[in-house]
Amino acid sequence: MKRTLALVIIIVGVTAVLLVVGLKGPGISTGTIGVASGSALPGFSANVSTPEQALGNFLLDVQKRNWDRAFSVVERTNSSATEQEFTQEWMGTNGGLRAFSGLEKYDARPLHATDSEAQMRARLEWATPVGPVEDVRDFHLVKRGDQWKVIWDETPAPNVPAQVIPVNYLRWDLVSGNAAGSEWGSRNVDGPHVRIVSMNAVDSAEGSVVMGEVVNEDTIPAFVNVNATLVDASGNAIDDESSFDKIIHVLLPKQVSPYRIDFPHIDLSKVKNVRMDVKATLVPASSDPVIGVMNQKLDADAQGHSVLHGELMNESGQTVNIPHVIVSFYDNNGKVVWVSDGYVEQALLPQSSEPFAVELPKSLAGKVQNFHVVVNEYTLQKS
Amino acid sequence: MSWSMNTLCRNHSVRNTLILGLGVVALAAVALSQTLNVRVPSAAVAGESIWIGTTGSGSATFYLIGPTVSLKHDVQLGSEIVVPSKQTEIAGQYKAVVCVDHCQSADFYVAPAKPASLTFLVHPSRVPVGQNDAISGVALAFDEFGNLIFEPSTVDFQLAAKGSALTTRSVQTQNGIAWFRAPSGKAAGALQVTASLHDVSARRVVQQVASDPCNLRIKGQRTPKGVLVETEPIRDCAGNPVPDGTVVTFTAKNGNEISTVDAPVKQDVARAQIQAKGTLVVSAASGVVMGNELRLEAQ
Amino acid sequence: MLRRADKSYARAFCSRGMLWLVGGVLLAALGCFATDTAPQVVLDATKAAPRTVEALTQRSIVRDYRFAWTNLSEALASNSANPLNGLFEGTASSWLHDEISNQLKNGLTSRYLNQNHKLEVVFYAPEGDVMELHDTAEYDLEVLDGNKSIHSEHAVVHYIVLMTPGADRWVVRQIQSVPHF
Repeated sequence: MKRTLALVIIIVGVTAVLLVVGLKGPGISTGTIGVASGSALPGFSANVSTPEQALGNFLLDVQKRNWDRAFSVVERTNSSATEQEFTQEWMGTNGGLRAFSGLEKYDARPLHATDSEAQMRARLEWATPVGPVEDVRDFHLVKRGDQWKVIWDETPAPNVPAQVIPVNYLRWDLVSGNAAGSEWGSRNVDGPHVRIVSMNAVDSAEGSVVMGEVVNEDTIPAFVNVNATLVDASGNAIDDESSFDKIIHVLLPKQVSPYRIDFPHIDLSKVKNVRMDVKATLVPASSDPVIGVMNQKLDADAQGHSVLHGELMNESGQTVNIPHVIVSFYDNNGKVVWVSDGYVEQALLPQSSEPFAVELPKSLAGKVQNFHVVVNEYTLQKS
Repeated sequence: MSWSMNTLCRNHSVRNTLILGLGVVALAAVALSQTLNVRVPSAAVAGESIWIGTTGSGSATFYLIGPTVSLKHDVQLGSEIVVPSKQTEIAGQYKAVVCVDHCQSADFYVAPAKPASLTFLVHPSRVPVGQNDAISGVALAFDEFGNLIFEPSTVDFQLAAKGSALTTRSVQTQNGIAWFRAPSGKAAGALQVTASLHDVSARRVVQQVASDPCNLRIKGQRTPKGVLVETEPIRDCAGNPVPDGTVVTFTAKNGNEISTVDAPVKQDVARAQIQAKGTLVVSAASGVVMGNELRLEAQ
Repeated sequence: MLRRADKSYARAFCSRGMLWLVGGVLLAALGCFATDTAPQVVLDATKAAPRTVEALTQRSIVRDYRFAWTNLSEALASNSANPLNGLFEGTASSWLHDEISNQLKNGLTSRYLNQNHKLEVVFYAPEGDVMELHDTAEYDLEVLDGNKSIHSEHAVVHYIVLMTPGADRWVVRQIQSVPHF
């Protein structure tokens, strides 16, 4: 009994002492907890004798948001570029998608290297609110003395002059009316008329895909969702899915949107029928902003992937925080053979442009004769 | 002494007593049943007081069972029971029940009162111009208490739009309902639709909107930044301007480079600034309607 | 005078007979208190005009009208509006609520048992937003004051019914009894 009591007292006492030391003692100043002070961070090379190491350190700093250290290893080609601009490019600004993202992982490979300079290609994977986004970026490194530096040759965005842009595009508001005391039949406002104009079901590497286009035939905006149910030969439903974000949900009058519905791990050979359902509801909306899609071109990128790229031009006075590009690809009969989409990571400022690129599966590149790009926009503050 | 039926029947005095007793009982039953009687009105109208007669004497419990009504109170037999108008507002079948030691009931119907409101359902709320049988309306007549009036009556429907002649048609209700179908007019604008029955009416508005764009034509000019392209005033085939906000897609092609802008119509015209170089072929489309093509040479 | 053997036979016969009698009485009692079956509803949509009633709509009408009457009879038997379950709207709903509260106030309840409904569609609006039906309803009606039955009959009642489509069901908007169609 006495021995037990003594043991308990000792354990409690030691725990208390350790707690006090941990809370009040000198903090660990460097490195990750668990790593002995003075040694390298996991992945961080103290010795940057190679371009791989230099780029690795740089990207690790970007990942950990050590902007001062990251900026210290870049060499600016434009002397007027500031650390703030550098930070904003990597961190995102104006509520763009990058501002809500973090660099999850990266994989850098050399393209070519000499003793004094190197070209590296890094595949960056960003964790974003809309899922993982992959970005492939080429880095140019030069050796200065015994240090490798990352060349930062980003040209600053054009400075749009201050101006007043009148907004006189139409907007629609929804008034639900006074529910109490309203007589039967007096509050009739029909929902918008929306029609699916095409549907195509195909097999893909990930499963079955149903895609096509939908049009708002009405004179008022519609909030649209397209659902599909795959039915087998016995008439039983195999699965039903929605278009989720692969559609422009708010369709203005006479606007056409592609849609794509994915059915992962379902073989199209098991499907006998596809039941389509489009739901449209009244929604307040605005015709503004108007976004142009300029210089669209379909060609192969440096890795041999078929990519449709271009520039989004914001012709309005409102910042588009998160632009989302959806592309429908057509064959020579005008049939939709694929729908791709991609988010633009930087916000689209008024009267400014941002590049975009979406990939087309290699197997379809030969079939595509035409394409149509539409832009979905998410704005944090609606005026 | 054993008592058997035979013995009883042979005994005259007993037999007579039995017959007398049975007769008394029968008479009493008849008397009782004759005492409790309920008289109900042959014709009652919603919202009017009614009188229910009873026969007999003594006190009884009166029940009135009907749509929304479940009354119970004590009454004196032989007097008339007044049912206030508040209890007969709802049309339908009623049961008047009077109970002493047994219950007697009678049914009667309350008919709807005169028309006081029209429920008018009109579809759709928006309709493209020039469509056959595009507009329909259904009218139901109710009295002030919400009872459906199913006696035949004539409902007048009127359709009036600015710049069009007034259309009127009279329809006899069948099973309490009158309905019509009509084509939409040629001119866009509000169509007033009215249903009237005697001095009761209901009005609805149908928006007649322009149909699909017709003869979509564009014009353009070069600017320092690219091309400014705009449509001529966009109208449907009946000459109605398409509503503002209708999206027109402008497309400019230069070889295998394409630029597009989805621009909404503003005051009958859609315009867009397209940043593109070189010789351009520009076209426009709205919904499923295509416009003309324009060729603009490089500057 | 019964002999011993006869007596034992008689005893056995009587006890068996008693068993049958008790069993029969029990069965009869069960039959009396047996759970009321769901209302039977049949629909004739051949005369529907101006719009014809689609097959799926017919099935929905039968299903929802049956539910409506099941809920109505449950509500009036228990004097609670909870069973009504969103199958009544507008006038029909407010009338039912009033009937329930008046019943409750006076200690009355009513039971609608063994219901049979013959529905006929007499009007279906062009846009499908209202339907008028004629219901020839047959049921056993019992009205009770507390535990005492004050009225009991096998009734045949004619109802004019208006139904409108809701979000996921057809609802009864008006139900009005008439002497004849």
